[in-house]
Amino acid sequence: MQVYLPIAEMSVDALLLLGIGFGVGWLSGLFGVGGGFLLTPLLMLIGIPPAVAVASGANQTLGASISGLIAQWRRGNVDWRMGLTLFAGGLLGSALGVQIFALLKRWGQVDVAVSLFYVVILGVVGALMVRESITALLRRRRGAAPRRKLHEHTWLHGLPFKLRFRDSRLYISVIPPLAIGFGIGMLSAIMGVGGGFMLVPAMIYILGMPTSIVIGTSLFQVVFVSANVTLLQAWQVGSVDIVLTMLLLAGGVAGAQFGAAMGTKLRGEETRALLGLLVLSVAFARAWNLLQTPSRAFTLGPLP
Amino acid sequence: MKLVARALLWLGGLMAPALAAAPPITAELSTDRVEISTGFTGASVLVFGATQNPLGGDPPEDLIVVATGPTQGVVVRRKITVLGIWLNGPATRFPDVPGFYALAATRRVWEILPEDERRQYRLGFDNLRLRSEGNRSPAFRAALLELKQADARWQEYAAPVSRAGERLFSARIAFPATVQTGDYQIEVLLARENRVIARQELSLRVERVGTAADIASLARGQPLLYGVLCIVLAVLAGWLGSVLFRRN
Repeated sequence: MQVYLPIAEMSVDALLLLGIGFGVGWLSGLFGVGGGFLLTPLLMLIGIPPAVAVASGANQTLGASISGLIAQWRRGNVDWRMGLTLFAGGLLGSALGVQIFALLKRWGQVDVAVSLFYVVILGVVGALMVRESITALLRRRRGAAPRRKLHEHTWLHGLPFKLRFRDSRLYISVIPPLAIGFGIGMLSAIMGVGGGFMLVPAMIYILGMPTSIVIGTSLFQVVFVSANVTLLQAWQVGSVDIVLTMLLLAGGVAGAQFGAAMGTKLRGEETRALLGLLVLSVAFARAWNLLQTPSRAFTLGPLP
Repeated sequence: MKLVARALLWLGGLMAPALAAAPPITAELSTDRVEISTGFTGASVLVFGATQNPLGGDPPEDLIVVATGPTQGVVVRRKITVLGIWLNGPATRFPDVPGFYALAATRRVWEILPEDERRQYRLGFDNLRLRSEGNRSPAFRAALLELKQADARWQEYAAPVSRAGERLFSARIAFPATVQTGDYQIEVLLARENRVIARQELSLRVERVGTAADIASLARGQPLLYGVLCIVLAVLAGWLGSVLFRRN
């Protein structure tokens, strides 16, 4: 069944979009991430213009993350103060990201720039995830109890403007969370991702937040940043396609439930290893796209 | 007998001026509106009509149908490789090319008309006026033609002008799903002995209707409101999903 996307100005098979939404939703339910990093490249692959794919991807991430946020909030797993600090950074970051995106669009380099960001960011994050989870799996096999200090002091703790984050049991400077929120907000505007897959490790390893509170708090940031990206993309670039978003969401919310049910059967390290491999494979696919000789030497685009 | 002759004479007198004033061609479109609705997958419009003289008589007459869409600005970029990575490199801008162009004729236009006539009526890709800025290499013009044809927005002899009987003709213009909205001109030309002897211009409007139109006009006209609406709808959909699929 073909459906006409009014902003992308093309018609696409609605079942294909529902299927993509379901598949990505399933994986995101399984791994507890938004899945934007998978969705945006898939949309570009089926011929959606990169600008529309990125903007609608952010809009879809918003819808996909809201139910998770509600569930985590009910269990009291959201550190509001930390979430708001991250979001304050994210607000500035995503505003800058949208400006960069508009500039790239004017230069005609959106597809290349988005691909490069995917290769570098997903490559690094994926490699770190795989390494970390393999170390954890090996350590478990050896049976040696991991020796980790409860709280490590680094130069980050010497920064000024300290604030007490009671739910996270932290008393740290607001600069690191603001910077993390800023960086991820910027990337999510350019890459059309929520940024959960980058935010979760950053919160655990850089900020030292307890794992129980990380998912809920990262969802808080993802929901608000993707809402901001949606608004700015719709307003300044004009590339959010609501028909596309709704079709993806319809498949996605159903898929996420099945994924989440399956995710409870996997161990934490296994899940992280699989997610790491998935992230890495998306990075490789994008890299292949950049390196391979294009089938056409010329491209046609609208005059900016 | 005399009466019949007079009647014939009278009839002849009545018809003579009518015949003289009769246009050499009369053409019409099957529709003057192409509507892009939510289920739009492309459309096809029939141009049909009649000629006063039999087609292919002596000297032979030929028909040419040209459809032109609203002009648009496009940019053609050449991919270049920098450190093994493929980037968009040098570019040529074409500020006013037809967004849609379709040519159909009873024969190839170069068999029908000399070059200056073809150029005047913009018949065939070679005779389109494509003003360009930026890189001057002719490869860009060639690439523009190739890419425009690849997605069926520019067509040359994609469908024939078919004849029925001696005087009736028809041609089909196919608009792809990616067709632009706006006003389209369809020109029907009748040619004899190396020149155009008659032409008729028809017009067609392509527009979005229904939900697709509402969404597009809201997104263009009130982008901020549209953005807020997108957020609200996504939140509602996500929340609804979590309620529907909640596992107790």
